Amino acid sequence: MRYNLMLAWHGLKRFPRSTVLAVVTVAMGLAATMTTLALLHQLTADPLPGRSSHLYLAWVDTVRAKPTQNQSLNGITVDQRHRIKLRDAEELLHDHRATWQAPMASVFTQFKSDGDKPRKGSDYLLATTSEFLPMLGVSLRSGRSWTPAEDQAHAPVVVIDSEMAVSLYGTTDVLGREFHLGHGVFRIIGVSAPFAPQPHFYDLASFTFGNLRRDQAFVPLRSLLDAGVDLAGDDGCDVDSPKPKTLFTSDPMYCASVSYWVDLPDRAKASDFLAYLQRYLDNQQALVGAGHARPAQLTRVDAWLSQQNVVPDNVRLNAWLAGSFLLLCMANVAGLLAARFLRRSAEIGIRRALGAPQRAIFQQHVFEAAMICLLGGFLALPLTLFGLWTLRLQDSGFTDLATLDPAMFGALFALAFAVGIITGWLPAWRASRIEPGLQVKSA
Amino acid sequence: MDILPILSTLRRHKTTAFLVIAEIALTCAIVCNAVFIINQRIDRINMESGVDEQHLLHIALTNIGVTKDDKARRAEDLAALQQVPGVVSVASVNQVPFGNSSSNGSIKLDPKQRLATANATDYFGENVTQTLGTQLIAGRELKPDDYMDMDQVVTAAAAKDAKGIPHVTVITQNLAQRLWPGQSALGKQIYMSDYAFTVVGVVKELIRPSIWDDSAKSYTMVLPVRVANNEYIVRVDDPKNRERVLKAAVAKLKEINPHRIVLKQHLLSNMREDFFQNDRAMAGLLLGVCVALLVVTALGIVGLGSFWVAQRRRQIGVRRALGATRSNILRYFQTENFLLATIGIAVGMVLAYGINLLLMVHYELPRLPAIYFPVGALLLWTIGQLAVLGPAMRAAAVPPVVATRSV
Repeated sequence: MRYNLMLAWHGLKRFPRSTVLAVVTVAMGLAATMTTLALLHQLTADPLPGRSSHLYLAWVDTVRAKPTQNQSLNGITVDQRHRIKLRDAEELLHDHRATWQAPMASVFTQFKSDGDKPRKGSDYLLATTSEFLPMLGVSLRSGRSWTPAEDQAHAPVVVIDSEMAVSLYGTTDVLGREFHLGHGVFRIIGVSAPFAPQPHFYDLASFTFGNLRRDQAFVPLRSLLDAGVDLAGDDGCDVDSPKPKTLFTSDPMYCASVSYWVDLPDRAKASDFLAYLQRYLDNQQALVGAGHARPAQLTRVDAWLSQQNVVPDNVRLNAWLAGSFLLLCMANVAGLLAARFLRRSAEIGIRRALGAPQRAIFQQHVFEAAMICLLGGFLALPLTLFGLWTLRLQDSGFTDLATLDPAMFGALFALAFAVGIITGWLPAWRASRIEPGLQVKSA
Repeated sequence: MDILPILSTLRRHKTTAFLVIAEIALTCAIVCNAVFIINQRIDRINMESGVDEQHLLHIALTNIGVTKDDKARRAEDLAALQQVPGVVSVASVNQVPFGNSSSNGSIKLDPKQRLATANATDYFGENVTQTLGTQLIAGRELKPDDYMDMDQVVTAAAAKDAKGIPHVTVITQNLAQRLWPGQSALGKQIYMSDYAFTVVGVVKELIRPSIWDDSAKSYTMVLPVRVANNEYIVRVDDPKNRERVLKAAVAKLKEINPHRIVLKQHLLSNMREDFFQNDRAMAGLLLGVCVALLVVTALGIVGLGSFWVAQRRRQIGVRRALGATRSNILRYFQTENFLLATIGIAVGMVLAYGINLLLMVHYELPRLPAIYFPVGALLLWTIGQLAVLGPAMRAAAVPPVVATRSV
C-alpha cells in the first residue's frame, strides 16, 4: 500500500498541467459547496446548545372568537398561532408545573437614560417574568435578576445588557440608575452579557437572525404594561374584549400576545405537562362553552424551528446549486483522470505483466485521485473563506453568520477526501481492467 | 458523414464517452434551471411600481419628546416643503413604495363572510396618488372632502361609529381584478372590519411597500385618511434636481422644528435599488455559477478531446495515408462531439425538467418555459463544438507519415 501511495505521488507529478487543472476544478466545486454549507450549518445550528433540548413552547387556544379570526393572506390560510393570552399565562405561572417557565414578548420601543441630558434610543426589549433569565441561561455581569415577588408587585426594575449600558450610559457600572421606558421610570438592578441566540427562536414574530438585532434589556412584563408600552401583535382577541385605546393596540389580557416557554427535563415530564395543559384547556372550555378549539400543544425548540421554516429558501437553494456544481466538477475531474490513467496504459500493462494484481492498480489510481482532491481541498480553504467574506458583505440580516467553524473546517477535508475516492473510482476501475498482453505487445 | 464508425469507436471508449455525456447532461440541467431563476429575479428587479420613481423623494423624521398638535405641524411642514424650489407636490403619508414597512388590511366582499377575500395594503395621506404619480384608469381621484383625520378615525373606530370613518377608496387594477374578475370595480363595495368602502377610482398600478408574495404585489388601496406621522413624499420637477431638493427640504424641515431627528432621507430610485438588493445578489451569484459551469464543461471537453486525439494519432495517420483529407478528420471529431453532446443534452433536458419539478414543489417556482430547451441545446452544442475545435484541428494536422512510424 505504501508503494501504491508512492506511485500515486509520482503519478501526480507526471502531467503537471492536467494535475493543476484537476486541482483547480475540484477546489472550485469544494469551495462553492463549503461556502453554502457553512452558512446553512450556522443557520440550522442549535440556538442554545445544552438547553434547547428541554425547552418547549406551550400553547392553549383559549381565544373566544369565531374561527373567522384566522387570518387569510390572499387565499392561503396559514395557522401561525402560537401565542397565548396573558390571563392564561398568569394561571399557568401560578400553577408552576414546569421546572422553569416564562411568558415573553419582544417589544420594539423607545427608551432613554437618566440625567439632565438623557440619551435616547429605540430597540428591542424583552418583556417577560423572573424565570426567563435562568431558563435561557442569560448570564449576569453584575447585579441580579428580579424575583417572582417583584413580578407580583409590578416592580419597575430592569436588567439591561452591557452593550446597551455602554451606549446609553457610557459605562457598565449602571446598577441603581434610572431607565425611562414609556411613561415609567425603571431602576437598573442587573447588567447581563449580550444575549443573542441565533435564531431568535423564543419570539420569531419580531425577528429571526442577525447579530445586529437582539433583546437589549429584560423587563418585568407587568411593569412594562403599567408603563403604557404595548406588546406588538397578537394571534387574535376575545370577541368580548374591551375596546382598545387606539386602533392598533390590543389588551394582552384578552388577546393572545405572549409566547409561553417552559423548561421540562425529560420526555415523561413533557407528556405530563402536555396532559396538564390539555386539562387546563378542557376546564376553560367548560367555562366558556366555545367549540372547535384546537388541542393544547407543546413544541420543542427543534420542532418549532423546522415548523417555522426559519432558514431562508435562498440559502437552501444555493446549497443545492453548489452541490450540483460540485457534482459537475467531479464528472469533469473524472474525465481528466480517465484520460491521464489511460495514457499510461502501457506502464500499467507492464506492471500487470510483472505480477501486480488488479487490486494494486486500482488502489494506486484511487490514491492518486484522492491526493488530487485533497490538494483541491487545501486550495478550497482560502476560496471558501473568500466566499464567506463576500457573503458577509451582503446585507440580508443573516449573512453575518457566514463563518467557518472547526466542525466545518474538518468537514471540508472529509468532503475533499470523499470526493477524491468517488471521483477516482470509475477511472481507476477502468485502468485496472487494462489487459496486460495487449499493451505490452504494442509498446 | 458516416456515423457508424464513430459509434463503434465510442463503444470501445465507454468510460470516457460516459463521462463527457454526464458532464454535458449535468451542465444542461443546472444551467437551464439557474438561468430560469436568474430571469425570475430580473423580472422581479424590474417590477413595475406604478409610481414616478425618478421624480420622488422620501423623508421620515421623528420628534424628540412628546409633541402636541401634530396636525398644525403637518400643515406647517407641508407648506414649507411646497416653498422649496423644485418641489411640485408634497404629501404626508403613512408608507412609501419600497419602504419595507406597511399597513395592511383584510378585505371582505360581504361583511358576513368567514375568511377575508384578500389582504391589501393601505396608503393614507391627502394628495398621495397625485404626488406619487399613479395613473388613474377609471373613476376619480380622492377629493379633499372625502378625507378625514387619522385621530378622528381612530376615535370613531373605537366607538364603532361608522360616520366617523371614510367610506370611499381608490384601489389598483390588480386588486379590482382579484375581487371582481372581469367586472368594473367602480361603485362596488368592500368591507374592512365591518366598515363599508365604495370604490370610486381605479389606478393602473401602485406597488406595496413590502412584498411577501409576488402575486399580491399590487393589492393596494388608497384610503382618504390624513396622517401626521412626520413622513413625507416629495415630487420634484426635474430628476436632475433631486439631490439638491432633498438637501434643501431636510434643511427646511429642521429649521421649522429643530426638535426632531431625520430617520430617512432617500431618493425613491435608491430605495428601489436597496429593496431588490438580495435579488440582484442572487442573480449575480447564479450568473457566476453558470459561467463557471460552462467553463468547466468546456475545459473537460478540451481535456478529453486532446486525450482521444493523442491516443488515436496512429489511426489518424493511417486514415490520412489511405486518402482521408484533413477536413474528413476534422469532421470526424466534430461529429463525434456532436453525437455525445446530443445524448448529453437529451439526458440533461430530462434532468432539467425533473429539477424544475422539484423546485416547483419546494420553492414555488413556476414551470420551466419550453423555450429554454431549444436555447439550452443550442448553447451546449455551440460550446461543445468550440471546445472540440482545438483538439480536432490538432488531429487534422497529423501527417500521414505517422502511419509508417513506430511500428
